[in-house]
Amino acid sequence: MLFDSINFIFFLVIIFILYWFVTNKKLRNQNLLLHIASYFFYSCWDWRFLFLLVFSTFLDYFTGIKMYESKSEKAKKIWFWISISVNLGFLGVFKYFNFFASSFADALSNVGFSINTWSINIILPVGISFYTFHGLSYVIDIYKNRIQPERNFVDYSVFVSFFPLLVAGPIERATHLLPQIKKERVFNYTMAVDGLRQILWGIFKKIVIADNCAELANLIFNDSSNFSGSTLLIGALFFTFQIYCDFSGYSDIALGTARLFGIDLLRNFAFPYFSRDIAEFWRRWHISLSTWFRDYLYIPLGGSKGGLWMKIRNTIIIFLVSGFWHGANWTFIAWGTLNALYFMPLLLLNKNRNNIEIVAKGKSLPSAKDFFSIIMTFGLTVFAWIFFRSNTMAQAFEIISEIFSKSLFSIPQFEMHYSRRSIITASLLIFFITIEWIGREKEYALAGFGLNWSRPLRWTFYAFLIFIIGLFMNTIETPFIYFQF
Amino acid sequence: MKMEKFLKSVFLFLLFSMVFYVSLLCLLGDNVLKKANLNFVYKVGSYGHMNTRLKEINDYENIDVLFLGSSHSYRGFDTRIFEKSNISSFNLGSSSQTPIQTEYLLNKYLDKLNPKVIVYEVYAGTFCFDGVESSVDLIANSKNDFETIKMAAKQNNITVYNTLLFGFYKQLLNSNDDFKEPIVKKEDTYIKGGFVQRKMEELNDTKSFPKTNKWQFNEKQFLAFQEILKLIKSKNIKLLLVQSPITSKLYNSYTNNNVFDVRINKFGNYYNFNKLMNLDDKKYFYDYDHLNQKGVELYNKEIIKVVQKNIVNYTNH
Repeated sequence: MLFDSINFIFFLVIIFILYWFVTNKKLRNQNLLLHIASYFFYSCWDWRFLFLLVFSTFLDYFTGIKMYESKSEKAKKIWFWISISVNLGFLGVFKYFNFFASSFADALSNVGFSINTWSINIILPVGISFYTFHGLSYVIDIYKNRIQPERNFVDYSVFVSFFPLLVAGPIERATHLLPQIKKERVFNYTMAVDGLRQILWGIFKKIVIADNCAELANLIFNDSSNFSGSTLLIGALFFTFQIYCDFSGYSDIALGTARLFGIDLLRNFAFPYFSRDIAEFWRRWHISLSTWFRDYLYIPLGGSKGGLWMKIRNTIIIFLVSGFWHGANWTFIAWGTLNALYFMPLLLLNKNRNNIEIVAKGKSLPSAKDFFSIIMTFGLTVFAWIFFRSNTMAQAFEIISEIFSKSLFSIPQFEMHYSRRSIITASLLIFFITIEWIGREKEYALAGFGLNWSRPLRWTFYAFLIFIIGLFMNTIETPFIYFQF
Repeated sequence: MKMEKFLKSVFLFLLFSMVFYVSLLCLLGDNVLKKANLNFVYKVGSYGHMNTRLKEINDYENIDVLFLGSSHSYRGFDTRIFEKSNISSFNLGSSSQTPIQTEYLLNKYLDKLNPKVIVYEVYAGTFCFDGVESSVDLIANSKNDFETIKMAAKQNNITVYNTLLFGFYKQLLNSNDDFKEPIVKKEDTYIKGGFVQRKMEELNDTKSFPKTNKWQFNEKQFLAFQEILKLIKSKNIKLLLVQSPITSKLYNSYTNNNVFDVRINKFGNYYNFNKLMNLDDKKYFYDYDHLNQKGVELYNKEIIKVVQKNIVNYTNH
């Protein structure tokens, strides 16, 4: 059940009615409803993997209590490592087994040994990376005595599997979400309206911008050897917007949906393409994952406390793991490495916290310096996305060498149909970037957009957005990119 | 109280959006949207002479044979040839007609035409298409009613919904009533009874096809297909499922033709003329998909034999 499908709208309306009109008398019943709805939502993808989700949830719930009740440090440690190894074990088998098996065989064949490897046909359970990280943060927090374990299984399960965040995040923290689940929820008009507004913007981003960009990016990347440098560059640009609008669109729908149920989820994106340097970009891109890595990997590794070399080492580790988290392919690792390299000069010059506030705060336009910095950062990001999108490293290098050749200055080649589509998509991108720029000081672009207008004018704008969605949405259904992670 | 306010606001906004959406669509439909070729395709008198065909259908009833299917049908079954053999017929084929549209056309016209036999051209491609192209063709060229809404709902595609909204608007204004489609369009001539004859030409065989093509079936079409079979059976009409010949070069480029044959064969009398006839690509086709008039004549002779056998059976029955 995709967020942008009719089925999801029906599902959401039914759960909303049951939540606020049938189970609203008791918090316990509301949470039970969210629990059942979330499991139903998940089983719509593949009910077989529901067992894995239940097992993983129960494991962390159980080990959390056991750790807390352990009389000795040793027992606590044992329960901790049981949880960590089983969680990472599942992730390893489902996500990385074939990668390691084939990489091992390749390495041996390079030194003259030939072995018969076998790969298993594994279907990646949707959302496994997300709910595993949920569980891990919970277990680590208990181990570090930051929180106490949750005793109510239903409440804990809602924390792990709350349907808006279940399959692609944001990656929540027990300290943020669990208290909201435990607290009585009263319907909040402003919050619900804001939720609907965010859903509308998320849908626009996903099915108008991301899906239209996807059609063109796929066309170019799937046949990259037959395109000129200029066309490949356009393909990379389309992919750059596709991945942002796909994932941040999904996050907007998730956050907006949660708001309808009186729950605030962690913000996941903060206009990353308006960043003035890579450090700022990483504070604004997939925030819930970046902060997860910061809190559960970077800081435990020593963070920035152990001197410059420690800082460099830990930063490289974080980016490599981040790349690897996206999938078992060298292209993701290259993407992570590249971002680490971009980050290094800022780290060495101690300039990684130069740009904290959003660009041109309180102004209409950025300064020339800011504008130049945004373009530079955006360019570096586009370059890195080429690795992320390519199927192999060889393809990525082939694309880059073509882009940096004379053919960059040739007229892009498209069939008539696609050249029309690319012009339409480019126009939509201009509209989208303008709205994002105007709304950049708020949590999401539409959050404050037109709030001081009269209601008819504001509604006309929203209705106009719906009209654009109806006319420009891509009818080829493209699954959310981050479902595969 | 707050919930009441929320529900009221949502309801009013949805109402407002709907009115806004439809108004803008109707306002821009005839000029901006038509040209922009977005999720909106409204063309009266489009390719395949569907407008003329659907106007002419009112003159027909109690026929011997009804032809259904894609362009392989309206370019493949020449009603004049059948007439010569004393078989009255009507060709209700339309461009890229998939089972979803066939079901719609049958629900609309079957009782009136009341055929003894239905020859349904089951081209594998039509079981793979989404059917949008054909749906918008029918919406723009026929009278829209509840059946059209049902078809659009089955299709569940934004282009079809947009076109249907505009179609109803045009119908309300009666603005297509005076439209008269030309009988001759470039190389195509509409023949009474629904056949479209192509100016005689032979295939200019320059293309090559990889021998790795695969039909990717759309299960939604098979569901609609089963509904069609139920309907025809309930009316006690004889059904012949045929696959018209396409060039052997194109046909053989598909590796799973047999999978399709096995699936269709289960549903009744099925004749795959790609296997039953051996037609020279260059001599009997004008493009890779369609027979030229020489090919049509040969093919129709074969079809007549099958149809006559079935009409005799029907009469005896």
